[in-house]
Amino acid sequence: MLRKTAALLGLSALLITPTLAFAQDDAPTMGSDIAEACPAPANISGAIPVGAIFTISGAASVYGGSQQAAVQLAVDQINDWGFLGDGNSINILFEDSASENEQAIAAMTKLVDEDQVVAVIGPTLSREAFSADPVAQDAGVVVLGVSNTANGITDMGDFVFRNSLPEASVIPGTVADSVSELGITSAGLLYGNDDDFTVSGYEVMLSELSDAGVSIVGEETFAAGDTDFNAQLTNLIGANPDAIFVSALAAEATPIIQQARSLGYTGPIVGGNGFNSPAVLSQTGEDSNGLIVGAAWNGSSTNPLSTAFVEAFSEATGNPPDQFAAQAYTGAWLIASAIRCADSTDRAAIRDSLASLPEIETPLGLFTFDEDRNPVHPSITQVAQDGVFLPLISEEEPAS
Amino acid sequence: MDFFRSIGISEPVFQFMLVNALLGLSVYLTLITGMFSLANAGFMAIGAFTGAILTQTFGLPLIVGLIGGMIAGGLVAIPVGLPVLRLRDIYLAIATIGFGEIVRIALLNVDQVASSIVGERVVITGGALGIKQIPKMAETWHLLLLLALAVYFIWRLQKSRFGRAMAAVRQDERAAANMGINVVYVKNIVFIFSAMLAAAAGVMSAHLTRIISPTDFGFNQAVDILAFAVLGGTSTAFGPIVGAFLLTALPEVLRFTNEYRGIINGAILLLVIIYLPGGLVNPEGWRRTWRRFRPAQGEASVNVG
Repeated sequence: MLRKTAALLGLSALLITPTLAFAQDDAPTMGSDIAEACPAPANISGAIPVGAIFTISGAASVYGGSQQAAVQLAVDQINDWGFLGDGNSINILFEDSASENEQAIAAMTKLVDEDQVVAVIGPTLSREAFSADPVAQDAGVVVLGVSNTANGITDMGDFVFRNSLPEASVIPGTVADSVSELGITSAGLLYGNDDDFTVSGYEVMLSELSDAGVSIVGEETFAAGDTDFNAQLTNLIGANPDAIFVSALAAEATPIIQQARSLGYTGPIVGGNGFNSPAVLSQTGEDSNGLIVGAAWNGSSTNPLSTAFVEAFSEATGNPPDQFAAQAYTGAWLIASAIRCADSTDRAAIRDSLASLPEIETPLGLFTFDEDRNPVHPSITQVAQDGVFLPLISEEEPAS
Repeated sequence: MDFFRSIGISEPVFQFMLVNALLGLSVYLTLITGMFSLANAGFMAIGAFTGAILTQTFGLPLIVGLIGGMIAGGLVAIPVGLPVLRLRDIYLAIATIGFGEIVRIALLNVDQVASSIVGERVVITGGALGIKQIPKMAETWHLLLLLALAVYFIWRLQKSRFGRAMAAVRQDERAAANMGINVVYVKNIVFIFSAMLAAAAGVMSAHLTRIISPTDFGFNQAVDILAFAVLGGTSTAFGPIVGAFLLTALPEVLRFTNEYRGIINGAILLLVIIYLPGGLVNPEGWRRTWRRFRPAQGEASVNVG
């Protein structure tokens, strides 16, 4: 009870003077609005098993580690607070998918059948989700993707949710903001044609640019693992576009920026989520000035919950969080909120509760699910300036 | 059943063990004919995509997808095998890796090519996105039946005149040719059988994982398949099956070790390779290891008889 009061005090302090809230040690400011909307659960007791499937090893392990740390941070905060009632806690069970669809299925089956979890967070990759989520759907267990961005994830069934904005939801904002702010009338497109993420990003860019009346003066492709983009960039720059739009993963982002600049291109480079990384900025240095990136979240966000999360995550892990961490952290809180508001560990009750959660303040901004269990929260268009991302436009546009 | 589930071998894990056993057998066929082929992942991809297109796009039953996938794999194996099987050893391995890459890149680009011919957007293989939401049609008994049929077929094959020819080709191609064995014919027929088996495994795998994309069938997959046979041993057809079972089940059984899983998994495999270089199913290797202090390496590593 004392903790709750402290948390509510923390919230009011946060509303008046944000700096005061940060001064409080470990005060969980996240979840305060749910704590107000739903009373502390009375009908549940003990440790509630919740599963999480991430790519802790394998090709995509770079994401899984940060997701696991973020979920662990959220669960620690939830349990320390007693968010699910005094003496109750979330028993988080992490499983490694090893970046393989087969292991994701096995992990999901284990969590759902053996460990009897009430909900699952993950899996990390969209293709793993397409393999493993039907297992949860068939068993009637909520599965909340925190990094699945492919089209059709939530079409798998009414127990499948995600809190990760698909590229399709971020890119329209990025294109609209950059076109209106920079007065772009012609664009060149460069994209990786052998990866589902980059291809779907390209498709959205193309249709949004066409809708905005921007003429496409050139299109070039590359393959994942390429390191030399000079030929493609020379063609694009030769067509003299106002901006170059790139759909690439982080590994290709850095050389694309460097090579475009060394070929004498000084205009804006507009990228998708692959460019949304502090590493890209530090590797490219001055070359990244004028890089425009849309994202679901960025560490530069001034949202108080976001800055509190950045601080707590950095303290717990020694590293600043990335977008995947912010989404995983939010996901764990969403599951806890659904359990609290359901006041039940019944799997179906938790599903209904998650689907009907009120709007909730999160590090990602004001968050809610739409009727298809996809996320609704503001996306952010940022421009790189001297090694940091700054908002391109000061106010944030809501995305669907 | 409860025991297996309690140690981590749930039904989906068992299903993947059976699929991988089929893949192990497909590489076993080529190995016992003296062909070091890494084409199986490519044929698996051909089977998976053909099967998934038949069942998902055309709504046909799994058996049609299975037969269609196997025929597609077998048909592709003919023009590939004729030139490529003239190569031996590492050169054959390199050429078949090339084949796997060609399949992967063809699957990535077939939609673009088809679209530019037709003039409007065509979706056949889905490019990099692959095919998703494939119905989960494969059942455990399908896989058990398929594996039993494959084992029976290979057992009969090895007992037949043709099987003796396969063994002769492995031991010495020139001597086999001098004895009147049509080496080119034997190699190509075995290559086709192997391709059809890999394609069958691909069809079943697609209907278990529900999503396939060309990158699932790259070089890594080819090496994984080879590892089933190498770890299990190629003295008998049971070697690749045991190897596939172990390699598939071990990571799941070791889930309780959490972050040490990869290390322990690797250590166990390393011990097997060091102390049983002829594979798990290899009585001679076990005997040799039993008589400890004798060097366990050496001639046993090439014991593929």
